[in-house]
Amino acid sequence: MLVHYLDLAWRNIKLTPLISCLMVVAIGIGIGVTMTSLSVYHMMSSDPIPQKSSQLHAVQLQTMDEGQTWNTSDDVPTQLTYQDAKFLMENSPLTHRVAMMKSGAAVHLDSPDSVPFIEDVRITGRSFFSMFDLSFLHGGAWSEMQSEQAAPVAVIGEALAQRLFQRTDVLGESIYLDERKYEVIGVTAAWQPAIKFYDVNNGPFQRAEQLFIPFSHIEAYELHSWGNTNSWKNEEIRGREQFLQSEMVWLQFWVQIDSENALKNYQQFLLDYMAQQQKLGRFNRKQLAYNIKPVNEWLEYNHVIDPDNKILVGLSFMFLAVCLANILGMLLAKFLKRAPDAGVRRALGASKKQIFFQHLVEVALLGLLGCLVGILLAQVGLVGIRETMSVYVGIAKMDWTMLLLSPIIAISACLLAGLFPAWVVCKTSPATHLKVQ
Amino acid sequence: MLEIKPIINTLMRSKAGALLLILQIAITLAIVSNALSIVSSRIDKLTEDTGYDEQGIIAFTVLTYNRNIDRAKQFKEDMITLKEIDGVKEAMTVSSIPLSSSGGSWTVSNHPDELQGKRVDSGYIQANHRIVNAFGLTISEGRDFEPQDETEGSQDQFPSVTIVSRAVANKLFGEGKGLNEFIYSGDNMMKIVGIVETMKSQWPDSKMGDNVVLIPIERSSMYQRVIVKAEPSKRAQVIKLIEPTLLENERQRVIMGVKGLDTAKAQTYQRDTLMIRMLMALIVFLAIITALGIFGLTHFNISKRTKQIGTRRALGARKSAIFRYFIVENTLVTLFGVAVGSVAAIYMGGQLMALYSIPALDWSIVLYTSLVMLVMSVLSVYQPARRAANISPSIATRSI
Repeated sequence: MLVHYLDLAWRNIKLTPLISCLMVVAIGIGIGVTMTSLSVYHMMSSDPIPQKSSQLHAVQLQTMDEGQTWNTSDDVPTQLTYQDAKFLMENSPLTHRVAMMKSGAAVHLDSPDSVPFIEDVRITGRSFFSMFDLSFLHGGAWSEMQSEQAAPVAVIGEALAQRLFQRTDVLGESIYLDERKYEVIGVTAAWQPAIKFYDVNNGPFQRAEQLFIPFSHIEAYELHSWGNTNSWKNEEIRGREQFLQSEMVWLQFWVQIDSENALKNYQQFLLDYMAQQQKLGRFNRKQLAYNIKPVNEWLEYNHVIDPDNKILVGLSFMFLAVCLANILGMLLAKFLKRAPDAGVRRALGASKKQIFFQHLVEVALLGLLGCLVGILLAQVGLVGIRETMSVYVGIAKMDWTMLLLSPIIAISACLLAGLFPAWVVCKTSPATHLKVQ
Repeated sequence: MLEIKPIINTLMRSKAGALLLILQIAITLAIVSNALSIVSSRIDKLTEDTGYDEQGIIAFTVLTYNRNIDRAKQFKEDMITLKEIDGVKEAMTVSSIPLSSSGGSWTVSNHPDELQGKRVDSGYIQANHRIVNAFGLTISEGRDFEPQDETEGSQDQFPSVTIVSRAVANKLFGEGKGLNEFIYSGDNMMKIVGIVETMKSQWPDSKMGDNVVLIPIERSSMYQRVIVKAEPSKRAQVIKLIEPTLLENERQRVIMGVKGLDTAKAQTYQRDTLMIRMLMALIVFLAIITALGIFGLTHFNISKRTKQIGTRRALGARKSAIFRYFIVENTLVTLFGVAVGSVAAIYMGGQLMALYSIPALDWSIVLYTSLVMLVMSVLSVYQPARRAANISPSIATRSI
């Protein structure tokens, strides 16, 4: 029966090519606009690391004195001071914990024709790779020992290896970061979470780094943050030592917590640490405060979704509603014009229900055709977004979920618009139409 | 004359079509006027005067990775070489580039103990004494920096004078005041010798968008920003020459992001440009769809009423009466839609303002959009109404 209805629908669409085209275009534009903004929204709000997002937690400490404010909802700074980060890194009940920051360097090889280029560097602990699910093509992370001794070793991403050496198996090769010589001990497979959730400081949609060096290098080689360094206190800072001991916040800290029990232990550990620091004159507060936020909560806390995007999604659904009203009008016109056909079919024994469904099938087919136009338009729209806003390269795209969602939205929207016209057609009595023939 | 009553009676009889049109027009008006309001506020932001010679300035960063290089000396040499390029008027190192969303900020106060005085967060830019001219700024009150104001190098000799933007002076000392007053930050104290009316900070879009403090101190860091001022007509050429020229002087460094200040500004405002483009696309599509809708529905109405029109014509109605009938009918429906839409638009504007801190919707935008929609609806009904007017009276006598 369905096949017959589809055949009828296709014939009817061909019978009125202009109005059918108009409808397909209207649905197409509606779906195109909606899917463009919805795709971006979907990527912005998607879980960047679904397999581990409930285990990975960002750690914050309320280091500021009573009364100081910060631009977060609970006034807790999003980053840690160096002394806190270092302590939490070195003394922790959890095996998976990592302090880190973004830096950068001029990368080059030891040859006169190697032109140095700037590359972002993530200075981090060895657990970074296992915590954030990076996989190694060759080699592996540095050892505890290498980290302690600030050994000049680096892990690089596959694309960077290609760029420098035109191959990925480059273990043992030397690269220069600024004037420092490093040995490559690991090459990771390409890694690019849709949202740079582990460090949202310089925009949540920046590219992930593909050059990693041990955390101990911050002290050993006087490395600076290329991210944000913020202070809340007027401190006299002279020299590197004082800077490292200061209350400036510039490091991110993440832990992996696998059980309820581990979380409780860790909370107690943080409170003990802060209480102990309080005795040394830091954390001047009545109530000690900290945050341990899992990935998705962390992203919400940092307002990763652009409010502009929410507005656009809202407007585009209203736009879709206009398109629907439009299609409804055209369907009404189209179906009523063909009411005599329905009259004949009714007279020949078709039930109201059958007429109703036959018309809905036709509407659904229009929806499907419109959806194809819409997906094409959305691709054009997404290209436009990527062109306008370079950092959206990773998120202005349509994934499978959105691709499958498009026909669902298109067809159900069209069915919604088709209900009334189909009902109007099926309830007309056959006699009125037969008379005029 | 306008036969409003019969038109309304007819409309009441087949409500579906008219209701659909009203719905469409109302939603369209709500969307378009709010979108236009957002677009116009973003365009204002993009075209607002920043105070700088955006077309003349080139900005870039030099990363001197070899720590053995005497950077102060090297940059002095570099600036001389840069100024030798044809079309270059000025070149100097600066601590950060305005409008670029990156750089240094601090809190300044009108009292040595900042907790007792007024405080204001502000971007600061450190450069040599020719900075005002290099940026193309105009001093509205007080004087420019002089060579003896300038200090070089370490923290120990912090300059004792400063030039600030009007916004900083106003916030600390009151409207129109501030010249020759002192500002404090930490242990530093500086006298305001000049005030620049318009000068945007490194973060033009933030709360400290208008707050800048210029400090006459020349530094040279590993990660050094540089500005070059060129004749606008020769700027593109100069941009190409900067990297090779500097690398010829010293190879152990990387020259990054050589671009015009207008480009840097455009990148800072990328989000707004995106929003403008998306909303404009939305508006254009909506206009097309709604016009199509009006056109289609009128067509439908006419084909449904062919006999009725024929009868009217047979009973003596002129072509012009039929034409007028459809125009008036459509205008009535549109007016109704516009009325509903205006309420919806203003309600929606209020919601957007409350939820997303979007500037308030201006009534005039709703009014203009309504007018345009009225005109558009008349235009899209014109052709179908003409067709209706041409229906022959003989139709009425056929097939009854």
